Amino acid sequence: MSFYKKRAFRPRTGFFKFTCCTGCGFELAYFQKSLEETLRSFDFTFFRLASSAGSPEGPFDLALVEGAVTEPFQIIELKKIREKSKVLYAVGSCAIVGGIPAIKALSPEIEIERAAYKERFFGLSSTRPNVIDDYVKVDGHIRGCPPGERDLEEALASVLLGKKPEFIEYSVCMECKRGGNACVLVEEGLPCMGPVTNAGCGALCPAHHRACYSCFGLMGQANVPALKGKFRKLGFSEEDIERFFTLFGALEPSSTLI
Amino acid sequence: MIETEGNAKGASVPVKAIIRGVKNEAPGVRTFLIEKSGPPAQPPCLPAARPGQFNMLGYPGVGEAPISFSVLHPEKTTEGRNQKNQKNLFGHTVRAAGRVTGFLSGFVEGDEVFLRGPFGRGWPLEEARGKHLLLLTGGLGLAPLKPVIEMAPTLGASGVTLLHGAREPRDIIFKTELARWKSEGAIEIELTVDNPEDNPDKGQKQQPKIHSGLITELIRPLRIDPSETVAFICGPEIMMRFAARELLIKGMAGSGIYVSVERRMSCGTGHCGHCQIGPWFTCKDGPVFSYTQLKGLPDVIL
Amino acid sequence: MTGASASQKDYKTVIPGDVFALWVDRLGEQYTLTGPVGGGVTARFEDISRFAQMDLDYQSTMLPPGKRYLFEPAEEILSYDISGESNIPGNNRETGGKQQKISVNLPGLPAGRRALIGVHPCDVNAILYLDKVFLRGPYIDPFYTARRENTFIIALNCKSVTDLCFCHLLGAGPYLKARAGYDMLLTDMGRGKGFLVELVSEKARELFDIFSSGRPPEEKDLSAMREAEASLLKGFKKNLDMAGLQNALLSRPDHHALTETSDSRCLSCSNCVMVCPTCFCHNVREETGLSLSRGGKSRIKKIRRWDACQDISFAKVHGGNFRAKRHARLRQFVFHKLDYEGQLGTKGTVGCGRCIRWCPTGIDLTEIAMAMMK
Repeated sequence: MSFYKKRAFRPRTGFFKFTCCTGCGFELAYFQKSLEETLRSFDFTFFRLASSAGSPEGPFDLALVEGAVTEPFQIIELKKIREKSKVLYAVGSCAIVGGIPAIKALSPEIEIERAAYKERFFGLSSTRPNVIDDYVKVDGHIRGCPPGERDLEEALASVLLGKKPEFIEYSVCMECKRGGNACVLVEEGLPCMGPVTNAGCGALCPAHHRACYSCFGLMGQANVPALKGKFRKLGFSEEDIERFFTLFGALEPSSTLI
Repeated sequence: MIETEGNAKGASVPVKAIIRGVKNEAPGVRTFLIEKSGPPAQPPCLPAARPGQFNMLGYPGVGEAPISFSVLHPEKTTEGRNQKNQKNLFGHTVRAAGRVTGFLSGFVEGDEVFLRGPFGRGWPLEEARGKHLLLLTGGLGLAPLKPVIEMAPTLGASGVTLLHGAREPRDIIFKTELARWKSEGAIEIELTVDNPEDNPDKGQKQQPKIHSGLITELIRPLRIDPSETVAFICGPEIMMRFAARELLIKGMAGSGIYVSVERRMSCGTGHCGHCQIGPWFTCKDGPVFSYTQLKGLPDVIL
Repeated sequence: MTGASASQKDYKTVIPGDVFALWVDRLGEQYTLTGPVGGGVTARFEDISRFAQMDLDYQSTMLPPGKRYLFEPAEEILSYDISGESNIPGNNRETGGKQQKISVNLPGLPAGRRALIGVHPCDVNAILYLDKVFLRGPYIDPFYTARRENTFIIALNCKSVTDLCFCHLLGAGPYLKARAGYDMLLTDMGRGKGFLVELVSEKARELFDIFSSGRPPEEKDLSAMREAEASLLKGFKKNLDMAGLQNALLSRPDHHALTETSDSRCLSCSNCVMVCPTCFCHNVREETGLSLSRGGKSRIKKIRRWDACQDISFAKVHGGNFRAKRHARLRQFVFHKLDYEGQLGTKGTVGCGRCIRWCPTGIDLTEIAMAMMK
């Protein structure tokens, strides 16, 4: 990638939002601990949440894209963003595994439209939700809901350094065990999704005695049937089990993630 | 007191080194001639490296990658001949591919790099004494054997043959060296490429001549005395698999066939566990193994 | 060893429990006391202030004490300081010169003294295994070495056996046979009878200044111990011909017991490896943070963390993955524990049973091995 060789000092950066809660944008603009450094190192030429100035026209050294794709015009927009960006990272679960918007993928689109808009549903143009990998080449996935500090820093620092980023690919259990937390799945029989969920959160929920609900999405090669079997043994109903696995991961992770 | 063996406490501390020369070998492949700078390194101490050993070469914030020595005799290279401080010079040939090697590909003469090493067991040069030394290499696999070729006259081998394969003619590294070794006549050399098209020197008289086809086709016609031959093989694992099998068919024992394997070497000291193959640590027990050592182990395609 | 009496000679004494407790409390003036808190199989080693906080009847812990306190789950092993016109590494050329200064710093070695109290025989043997990895040549690990030197280990012979234990197959328990590599060995002599204390190390002989307030063990004490051990040995549920596994598992690398377990139950979650007292694998990552910018100073830290062969990227190199399949990763774990004795001259397991207990789907490496040997 020629971008890496050029090693721009202050990459022109655009932050784009599709269907989501904007939480990833909030995380980047307000909540992460290296906010000052981020603003010093990156030239946000387009970031609606942070400033109404700026133009989405680009070109961009770095495009950060949050949200799932749920409407046709978003596909066109996404492809344009890809064309004018040297590096494009998908940010957050909606963009990467579908997130909450993907729950509607479980029913036919017309039923969703009818249920949400009653008799006024004619003329809508929503589509089945999809992840951005389905439409454009993505250079990296900054997972999370919102992203964990580790992967966010890795992604941004990699752009500054001019190296390929190295994202976490292992389970939440690894972070959980390193933290020495009691195991809520084995010890207490809570429906913890940690074993098949991509880490990056620092095992936040299990550390606070809650079952992981897979907001980072499934990790590569996740053995879903095996964990479903375990949940069945714990006495959870098929309906519940289905919900655990579709809350954030209704879309199968794109093959590029495996 | 806790009993410890080994004194290499500094093996985990990188030392600074300066790039003294860069040479393009093939598309995406460059040789860096490097001089260790700063205070004398903690043991294990450069430049007491042996052919087949490797350094962890890297840069702060980017990480490290295991790279074999391709230059241990700088006086025998055009870049190294005129350098001062020759005894502190060594070289690594790197393909810009991964996270670290891609980053290093932009480096030029005068730039600083960081390294630890040398690590691992090198080629068992003593095995070649009095025997015919057969070197089978593929692609970048010629690099770790280049120092062996350069010290061939001192090995006491009854003869040395190099068979080298590459994807395309332009992917053949060390072209000037190959021509020189050929003309010096100390070793026999045969080259082959998978794809003879796209030869930039097409039509010109090539020195040495390039065959087309897989390296196994060069091995097949060889006449060797199995008990009087020792083979060093380095290349992609699938190439080493078929090359070694040709030699086994010719009657060679697995213990006389040595291969240099790639694994995810990370610490270099046999601690981190990433490079395990069966009971072996590639970084500490390898990267050069005899075929017998690796035969039948899982996750090995030899 | 030049002691006068027999007990002095082998440094064994029987001490009332309350006296021993007082000694431990006093040891706390010099050492951080760390011992098992909460009972059963889910006890945990924690820093304590008094002997009474411990439950020495505990059966097992999730994290093994040796690995947890001698080989930290995450630890800074090195750092680089970068300063100059740009502190973004590698950017010296763009700023037009060689102003960038990079220095390599080693963190101070861990110095705190800790007494690990109540370490079961399997976990002591696991520490001896980690010693082979980090202390025996050709390279030694300075951080592990420093912690090992600063740690006073008080072992405790087991008082009960769980269904998942198989230390007896490896000579790693329930009573500790090793006579070096730790400091003291306790055997609970039963209700009100105190502890039989064995001083194994020089350090223990120096610190245990109440040796003479105990009484030398009599034959009836020793025979009671032998009986207790024999009755524990009867309580083990698992059986496997350990010696017969070497190279035998290896000759069946794609056995259906492995592949089927992997397909139907293995989550690749790495819990087995994380809780394993002998698993030493770790990953080293250089963390830049985001303080890289045009000026000033930045620090890049090299952090090592526990890693696991079950992690999909564990054996990944550029352009390939040597264990891309889930069953290859499970096989690595099972074989490393039960077969590859050649690696460090001993089996990679001590039979603590943690990998079975903490596997969400209860995968049992001894069952896999047994099925493979059928």
